Amino acid sequence: MTNIVPLNNQSHRDLRVMALVSDERNFVAVVAGEFPHLAPHYPIFFSKDSETGAFYCGAMLGFDEGENLFVAEGRNVYRPLNLQRGPFFVAGSDIAIDLDSPKVGSGELLFDESGAPSVYLKSIMALFRDLVPGMEQTRIFIEVLLGLKLIEPIDINLSFDDGTRRSLAGLYTINQEALRDLADADVLMLFRRGYLHLIYLMISSLAQVKFLAQRKNTALRAGLGLPR
Amino acid sequence: MQPVKDIVIVGGGTAGWLAASTIAARHQGRIKAGQFSVTLVESPSVAIIGVGEGTWPTIRTTLKKIGVSETDFFRHCDGAFKQGGKFSRWTTGADDDFYYHPLVLPQGFHQVNLAPHWLAANDGRSFCDAVCAQGVLCDEGLAPKTITMAEYDGAANYSYHLDAGKFAPFLQSHATGKLGVRHVLADVIKVNQLENGDISSLDTAQAGTIRGDLFVDCTGFAALLIGKTLEVGFKPCSDVLFCDTALAVQVPYDRPDAPMASQTNATAQKAGWIWDIALPTRRGIGHVFSSRHMSDDEAHSILAAYVGPAIKDRNVRKIPIRSGHREIFWKKNVVAVGLAAGFLEPLESSAIVLGELSSKLIAEQMPANREIMDIVAANFNEVTSYRWGRIIDFLKLHYCLTKRTDSQFWIDNADPSTIPERLQNLLKVWKYRSPWFFDEFDRLEEVFPAASYQYVLYGMGFRTEVDPYELAVDEKLAAQYMRQNITSSFRMRSELPKNRELVDKIVTYGLQPI
Ligand SMILES: Cc1cc2nc3c(=O)[nH]c(=O)nc-3n(C[C@H](O)[C@H](O)[C@H](O)COP(=O)(O)OP(=O)(O)OC[C@H]3O[C@@H](n4cnc5c(N)ncnc54)[C@H](O)[C@@H]3O)c2cc1C
Repeated sequence: MTNIVPLNNQSHRDLRVMALVSDERNFVAVVAGEFPHLAPHYPIFFSKDSETGAFYCGAMLGFDEGENLFVAEGRNVYRPLNLQRGPFFVAGSDIAIDLDSPKVGSGELLFDESGAPSVYLKSIMALFRDLVPGMEQTRIFIEVLLGLKLIEPIDINLSFDDGTRRSLAGLYTINQEALRDLADADVLMLFRRGYLHLIYLMISSLAQVKFLAQRKNTALRAGLGLPR
Repeated sequence: MQPVKDIVIVGGGTAGWLAASTIAARHQGRIKAGQFSVTLVESPSVAIIGVGEGTWPTIRTTLKKIGVSETDFFRHCDGAFKQGGKFSRWTTGADDDFYYHPLVLPQGFHQVNLAPHWLAANDGRSFCDAVCAQGVLCDEGLAPKTITMAEYDGAANYSYHLDAGKFAPFLQSHATGKLGVRHVLADVIKVNQLENGDISSLDTAQAGTIRGDLFVDCTGFAALLIGKTLEVGFKPCSDVLFCDTALAVQVPYDRPDAPMASQTNATAQKAGWIWDIALPTRRGIGHVFSSRHMSDDEAHSILAAYVGPAIKDRNVRKIPIRSGHREIFWKKNVVAVGLAAGFLEPLESSAIVLGELSSKLIAEQMPANREIMDIVAANFNEVTSYRWGRIIDFLKLHYCLTKRTDSQFWIDNADPSTIPERLQNLLKVWKYRSPWFFDEFDRLEEVFPAASYQYVLYGMGFRTEVDPYELAVDEKLAAQYMRQNITSSFRMRSELPKNRELVDKIVTYGLQPI
C-alpha cells in the first residue's frame, strides 16, 4: 500500500527516513546523466513500461524478482537516483513522501529545529533537480535512437552453479550492426548531442552481466556450502 | 523492347490503394531514381463501396511491408483486433450451436496432426479448444497481445476489424506522402487502345490524358478496363454460393466502454447469415442472404430482430452481390484487383486478402517489358484462378456441412449438385484421413490453409475415421502438444488484456516499433 502526501515542515518535523536502505528490486529506471556512474557496475538496458509500453532505461541489479545483488554495498557503489530517492516523490514542484514506506520511521531527520530542510532532505531535493529533467532528456535520447532503429531486443540466458537457469525477457540494447551502418550525418548528430558517449556506455555496461552473475553465484555457493 | 515503367491504377477503394502501395513500396528504388512511376486515378464522384471491414492476418505483413506504423493504423482506421470467426447456428441451427475458426494453427501443426487424436479422445471438448488457445481468448474478449509487444507482433495470430471508409484515405495519404504515388482525381471517360488491344492511355474528364505501360483495374463492380473495355467474361458461381444481397447497418454501442468482441460473429439465419464486426466506436452488422430464398422485407425484419431497438433511425444500406469472378484476371496490359476481379460474398473476409495477394504477385513479378508480359500474365491467371477456386470450395464448406433442414436455403446448400466436384472428392477423402498441412494445399501461399479446413470440418461435427494403429505412431507427441496447449491457454488468459483496453492504450500511448 502507499500513502503519498506532500511534505511539510509542520506535520513531518519529527519524521525520520532510512537513507541507505535500498529497495529489494532487480531492475530500476535510470536517467542518461547517470550512465557514466552506472556503467562500471551495472548493466544498463532499455525496457518497456508494462502500463504504457513506452521504452525507458534501467539498471539491472539482480536476476530474480526482488533480487538486489548490491544491497550489501552501501555507499561503496554508485546507487541509482531512483534508489537514493527512497520514499520521496515529486508532485509538481513539491516533494511528497510515501508514509507507508518501510523506510519511514528511523534514520535521518528531514527538518532541523527551525523547520529548515536538513542536509539529507537537501540532498534529496538536489537529486530531484537531476532526476526530473533527466527523465525527459532520457525520453528524447530513446526517441532519437528508435528513429534510427538503434534499439534491438536482447536475450540473456544464464546458468548458475546450483543448476538453475534464467532467461531474461523484455530487455533491449543497442543494435551494434545498425550503429555501424549509420550515415555519417547521423553519427555526427549523435556525437554532438552527447548520445554517442551514452551509446558506448550502454554497450560497455553489458560486460557487467557477467560480474552480476558471479555475484549471484558466490552467494549461491555460500548458500550451498560450496567453496567460493 | 518496350520497358514497363509507368503503372496506372484506376480506382481508389481499398483494392486500388493497397495495389498502389504494394507496387510502389516494392519498386521504391526505381521510383526514387525517376525510372518508374505509380499513378492512381480515381473518380471524384463515384464513391468507394465502403464495406469490407474484416481482414485476414496477411494484412499485417502487407501494412508492415508498405511501411505503415501499426499505431497509426489503429489511430486512423478505427481498428480493432480480430482473432477469427465465431460461427453460430450453422450446423443444427440450435441456440447453443457454435464453433470457432481461429487464426492460429493447432499446436505443433508442423510436427503432428492433432485432429485424429482429438477425434479418438472424443471427450466432449471442442476441436478448437483442444488444439489452440484462441477460442478461449475470444470467449473472454481478450486481445492477442500486450502493450509491450512490438508493432505487428502478437502472442496469438491476429488480423483487424477496420472502418472501410477510413482505411482507403489512410492508405492514400501514406502512398502519396511516403511512397511517391501520384494521385489524380478524375473520371475516366474514354479508354484508348492500340491495334493489338493493349490500353495505351486513358482520357479523363478533369485531368487530360494519362498514358501507361500497365493498367491495374480497381474500379470495383464497374470493372471498367477488364470488363467493359477488354470484355473479359464473368464466371458466376451463384449455383454454388447462393447469397446475392446484403443489408448493411452501423450500430453504436450503448456505452463507450462496452466490451468489444475479438472475433467476427457470423450467425446463420433462415436464408443466409449475419456478420457482426466490432470496431471501437460502433459495430458493423449486415445480413447477407439469397434473394431466391427470401424477400427483402423478411431479410430486413431478421436483421432488425438481430440488432434490436438500436436499428431505429439507422440507415440500412442494400448492396446487391453478383457472386463470381472474371474468366481471367490479366489480359493484354490490364490486370484486375479487388471487386473488379470478382467477389463471392463476405464470409471469411476473403476479398481484401485476395487483393493483397494479387497486388503482391504483381509487384513481385512486375514484367520488365511488354514482351514478357504475356508469360507473367499466364502465370498470374493460373495462380489467381486456383485461389478463387479454393476460396469458393472453402466458403461452400461452411454451408454444405450443415445439418439444418429448416429452410429450402439450407436444404439446397447440402444438395451435392451444388457442391464443386473437387470439394466433393475432398470430403470423401477426409472421411478416412483428415486434411493436414502438406496435403492438397500445396501452394506457397494458400489463402486458407489445411488448418482452416480442420477448424470448420470438426467445428461442424464432421467425423474422420481414425485407425488406432496409425494413431500410435505419434501418440506421445500429440499428448505433449495437447498438454502444452492447456498450459499456454492458461498463461495467455492470465496475461492478455481485454480487446478494448488494449486498443484504447494503443490509441493513447502507441505501440513501439520493436
Ligand atoms: C456486403 C459486402 C461485405 C464485404 N465484407 C468484406 C469483408 O468483411 N472482408 C473483406 O475482405 N472484404 C469484404 N468485402 C469486399 C470489399 O469491400 C472489397 O474487396 C474492397 O472494399 C475493395 O473494393 P474495391 O477497391 O475493389 O472497389 P471500390 O471500393 O468499389 O472502389 C472502386 C473505385 O473505382 C473508382 N472508379 C469507378 N469507376 C471509375 C471511373 N470511370 N473513373 C475513375 N474511377 C472510377 C471509384 O471512384 C472507386 O474509387 C465486402 C463486400 C461487400 C459487398
